[in-house]
Amino acid sequence: MKAMAPIDPRILDQAADWLMQLHGNAASDTDREACARWRQLSPEHARAWARAEMLMNKLGGLPPLLAMPSLDRPSNPARRAAIGKLALLLAVTPIGFAGWRLIEVQDWTADHRTAVGQRRELALADGTQLHLNTASAVDIRFDAEQRLIYLREGEILIRTAPDTATTYRPLRVQTAQGRLEALGTFFSVRQEAGRSHLAVIEGAVRIEPRDSIASQEIIRAGQQGFFSAHSIAPITAGNETDLAWTEGMLMADNMRLGDFVTELARYRGGFMRCDPAVADIRVSGAFPLSDTDRALTMLVATYPVTATTRLRGYWVTICGITRR
Amino acid sequence: MPDPSFAAQQELHALYASHHSWLRDWLRKKLGNSADAADLAHDTFIRLMVGRDLTAINEPRAYLTRVAKGILINWYQRQALERAYLDALAVLPEQKAPSPEQHHLILETLHEIDTLLDRLPRPVKRAFLLSQIEGMKYDAIATELGVSLITVKRYMKQAFLQCLTLMEVQV
Repeated sequence: MKAMAPIDPRILDQAADWLMQLHGNAASDTDREACARWRQLSPEHARAWARAEMLMNKLGGLPPLLAMPSLDRPSNPARRAAIGKLALLLAVTPIGFAGWRLIEVQDWTADHRTAVGQRRELALADGTQLHLNTASAVDIRFDAEQRLIYLREGEILIRTAPDTATTYRPLRVQTAQGRLEALGTFFSVRQEAGRSHLAVIEGAVRIEPRDSIASQEIIRAGQQGFFSAHSIAPITAGNETDLAWTEGMLMADNMRLGDFVTELARYRGGFMRCDPAVADIRVSGAFPLSDTDRALTMLVATYPVTATTRLRGYWVTICGITRR
Repeated sequence: MPDPSFAAQQELHALYASHHSWLRDWLRKKLGNSADAADLAHDTFIRLMVGRDLTAINEPRAYLTRVAKGILINWYQRQALERAYLDALAVLPEQKAPSPEQHHLILETLHEIDTLLDRLPRPVKRAFLLSQIEGMKYDAIATELGVSLITVKRYMKQAFLQCLTLMEVQV
């Protein structure tokens, strides 16, 4: 490795100034062009900017959920001293860590589950058909009183069968926000962060929010709705494209790019982020869920966006084509 | 960096022979564990090898202690970073967790950035992270930190400049 002469601090100062300005609220194409001219002033300017780009690449490749708590940790001398004692603990991290993860992931005991990007169809003991979408987990509890499906995470599609037991047992789906009772039917349930979604294709389903029995409501074929533990949002007409996942497709019909990225991310490990500047672009088309790389390729071929993949696919950023 | 000449190698050997064992003991007392002490003592001599002219060192003990202290601080910082990283990982849903190969890349990058941002005043570092990691806009950061927009800009410039300057040494 040959050491190069240090870059003139005044040029570095100007480079820092450009970086600060280009990340500001009001940075325009004019600013970017001015910066492009600046870095062509001399080879030293170009060198300084190459370093700035290297810095931006490193920063841009860091997933916030991991980077923020790691870098923004409290730092005080007392803690530093305590860390010395932790050295021994850290030396055994690989084993301790594996155990820790198992405890953390609550659904590891689920009766049936799918990995990210996987789909699975099951036939339950009573003949009910259950279709699990990506990253989903259910527990099945059938007893003399009821047929209970506990949706721990993800999304399921259910086609009920007439119960073979001599006494009638209702078929129920439990989510974090409440309970659904099937009234002879074909429907899908999705567990999201802080809310559940129900779409009924045939028959009817009753929603019972966990903390508010009074707000029960029956949803009929062709309807859909969200509910929290306390209330049910206004019911709207169902969207048939919502079930495209059962065919391994994501059907976008004038869908916000931001929503599209959130949806696609469900089928892919790691993180996907959509630059807010392009989140409102409308996307239409059928995209394969089994091959999210291909779905991304299709997206960037059709729309004025680019997909930047970092850390071997762990981190994907969708942003406008004019941005660097 | 000049290639270590024969004389410099002799110098390093001599230095190693007479100072390695007390340095390792000194580090062991600091760390309370001999495996890490041995590693860090080793790192200290590596640093000397790629560093300056060894014949110019007048007080080897003082000099070695100073270099070892720097390495020790860097090591503590790395441990603290990894601990914070594992804490963050523990609360991440399983399907969002990186693969072992990705862990390595992320940790290496985090450590580099962490070193670059070291010793920045707390609000400066925070403004920088909110902008560059969280993607927040300057005016939102100003509100979050309770400072003016112009202050956020000054913080950002300061942090960018420190990174660019320190990268001189890293690259």
